[in-house]
Amino acid sequence: MKARPVAPSLVRSRIALATLFCATAFSIVAARLVDVMVFGAGPRTTGVASIAHPMRADLVDRNGVLIARDLPVSDLYAMPAALWDTDEAAHELANATGADETHLKAAFAPKRGYILVQRSLTPDRRDAVMRLGLPGLNFEDGYKRFYPGGRIVAHAVGQVDTDDHGVSGLELGLESSVRGSRDAAPIVLSLDMRIQYVLEHEIEEAAHAFHTKAAGGIVLNVRTGEVLALASMPDYEPNSRRLEPGDSIRNRMTQDVYELGSIFKIFAFTLAVEEKSVRLDEPINIGNGLKLGHYVIHDFERLGPALSAAMVFAQSSNIGTAQIEMRTGPTKQKPFLRKLGLLEPLKTELPEVAAPLYPRHWEDVEAATIAYGHGISVNPLGFTAAAAAVVNGGTLIRPTFLKHDEVQNGERVISEDTSRTMRELMRLVVTDGTGTKANVPGYDVGGKTGTAEKAENGSYAHHLLISSFCGVFPISDPKYLVFMMLDEPHGNRQSGGFSTGGATAAPAVGQVIARIAPLLGVHRNDIFAAANP
Amino acid sequence: MIRTLNLAFIIMTGLVCLGLYRIAEEARVAAADLKATHAAIVRENDALTVLGAEWARLTQPKRIQALVGRHLELSDKPEAQLSSLTQLPQKNAPLAPEGEIRNAKVVVPQPLQQRPAPGEAQPLQSAPSADPGFALIHTGT
Repeated sequence: MKARPVAPSLVRSRIALATLFCATAFSIVAARLVDVMVFGAGPRTTGVASIAHPMRADLVDRNGVLIARDLPVSDLYAMPAALWDTDEAAHELANATGADETHLKAAFAPKRGYILVQRSLTPDRRDAVMRLGLPGLNFEDGYKRFYPGGRIVAHAVGQVDTDDHGVSGLELGLESSVRGSRDAAPIVLSLDMRIQYVLEHEIEEAAHAFHTKAAGGIVLNVRTGEVLALASMPDYEPNSRRLEPGDSIRNRMTQDVYELGSIFKIFAFTLAVEEKSVRLDEPINIGNGLKLGHYVIHDFERLGPALSAAMVFAQSSNIGTAQIEMRTGPTKQKPFLRKLGLLEPLKTELPEVAAPLYPRHWEDVEAATIAYGHGISVNPLGFTAAAAAVVNGGTLIRPTFLKHDEVQNGERVISEDTSRTMRELMRLVVTDGTGTKANVPGYDVGGKTGTAEKAENGSYAHHLLISSFCGVFPISDPKYLVFMMLDEPHGNRQSGGFSTGGATAAPAVGQVIARIAPLLGVHRNDIFAAANP
Repeated sequence: MIRTLNLAFIIMTGLVCLGLYRIAEEARVAAADLKATHAAIVRENDALTVLGAEWARLTQPKRIQALVGRHLELSDKPEAQLSSLTQLPQKNAPLAPEGEIRNAKVVVPQPLQQRPAPGEAQPLQSAPSADPGFALIHTGT
C-alpha cells in the first residue's frame, strides 16, 4: 500500500512548529542559566537543611565564663502500635533516656496513641536511643536553657519558661538583647563568677552560723556601677523548674525593701558634712536618750554622756545621729535622699525592683528616725548605689549588670571633700568603731554597720533583726563596695552572743574582701597590715 | 544536506542530554554532600555547645574548691595575697617610695617619753637628733 504524499506546506509548518518548540525550550534553559550564573539564582530548592540557631544568645560573665546557654535537646515520642515488644522497648528506652520504666510500660500497653517518652534529651542520649534501632520513635528538636553554675547565680540571671522566654532576672530584663542577638555573639555581663562564688560561699557560711531566715549580698564597682556579684538566700535551682522545700525565687537584694538601720547613718552624716552643720570633733550630748514628741530614741548600748561627732558615727549612736540630723531637718533631708535615688524605684536591667517606702508626712520625728535607718525602707541594691555615690567622689552611679569599663560620670550629688571626709569616717568605723571585725590586715577597709529591728504587729521587735554591713575598699581610693545583709540572725559563741551587724555581717564582709581583693587586683598594703594587724 | 544537518542536530542533542544529565547528577551528589556537611556542622556545633556548657559546669569555682579541699593541701592565707612589682625592695633604693608612705595616712605612735605633756605646745618641727628614727628612714630623707 502506498502512502499518501504529504503536502509540502504541511511539512514546512510542522518543521517550523518543532523549531519554535526547540527554540523556546533552549531559550528557557538559556535564560535560567543566565539567571543562575549572572544574577545568582533565586531561592535554593535543594532541600539542604539550614544550620539551626538557638533562640537565645549565651550569657557570659565579665571574663567570658559561661553563665547561660541554649543547649540542643530533643523530646522523644513513641507510637506503641509500631513497637513489636512494648515491654522490651520500655525497658530499653528507660535505660537509654532515664525515663521511668514502669510508667512507660503502662503507657505503651494499650498499643495506641502517641506517647511522650522523655523531654529534653541531650545529643548523646538521643544517639543512644538511635542506636536501639526501635521503630515508631520520633524526635522533636528544640533548645533548653542551661545554667552551668546552677544555684550560684540564680537570682541575678533568672530563668526562662518552657518556650524559652525570659520570666525573671536578667533573662527577662535583657530579653530583647538576648533574643535579638542572631550572630551568636554572647551578652557579656558585669558579673564575675569567682567573686559570685566567694560572696555566695561566705553568705552561706554566715547564714549557717547565725541561723538566719534569709541573707543576701552585693559586690559593686563604685566607679563604673558594675555589679560584680549579687546573691540572695534562700536560692533555687534554675535548671529545674521545680522548687525544692526551702527554696525561694525571691531576690531579696532588689525585690524586697528593708529598714536597714544604722547603715543609713552614712547619708545622715553625708548631709551634715555637706551642709557643714557639724564639726567632726564637736562633742555631742548622748545621755540616756533623746525625747522627740511622744518618742524616746535610745542607743543599742550606753555610750556615755557625750561623744565627738566622729565617734557618734563610729560607735553608731542613734541619739547623736538624730541630733545632728535635726540641725538640717526634713526640708533638706528629703531632697537629699531623693537626689541619691533612695526615694525612686531603682533603674537597672533587673526587672524585679521594689519601690522604696517612706513616710508621706516627713516631719522632725521622721527625719530623726530616718537618720538612723528606721521609717524608710529601700532595696539593698538601691542602697549600695547611693552609698557608692558617697564614697566614689560624689557622683551618682546607676548599677548595671552589663560589662563596661568606663567610669560613670553621673550627676554630682556631694562635693569631693565631703566624700573624702565620709571615707575617713567609714575607716574610723573599722578601726575604732562597731565594724572592727571587718578589718582585713593589708587592705584599708572602711564601712558601716547596721542593725535594724523588724516591725512585727505594728511595733518593733527587739529580737528580730536585720543585720548588715557595707564595706568599701580600698577606702583611700575606693573601687569596690561589699554589702551583706542577714535577716534574723541569732548570736552564737563566735559573735559573743550578739546578733548585730558588727558581730555577724561585718566579719563575713571582711572574709569576702580578704578573698576577693587579690582576684580584683587590689594589692596588699603592708603598711596598713602593720598598723592594723 | 538536510539529513546531515538533522543527524548533526540529533547527535548534538544527545550529547547535550548526556552533558545535562551528568551536570544534574553532579549537582545532586554535590547537594547531598552539602546536606551531609551541613548536618555534620550542625552536629559538631551541637557537640561544641554541649561540651562548652559541660566544661563551664565542671570548672565552676564551687566544684574546684571542693576538689582542692579533697585532694590538695592548699590554703589561702593572707601571706599568699598579691603584691606589686613596685612594692618589691630594689637594690640601692630607699626602703619604700616616698609617695606611698605619705599617702598611707598611718599614725605612728610616738614613744611615751617623747609625747608632750597635756597642755604643752607641740613643736611644729622636731629638733634634729643623732638618731634619725622611723620618720626619717621612711621618708627617704
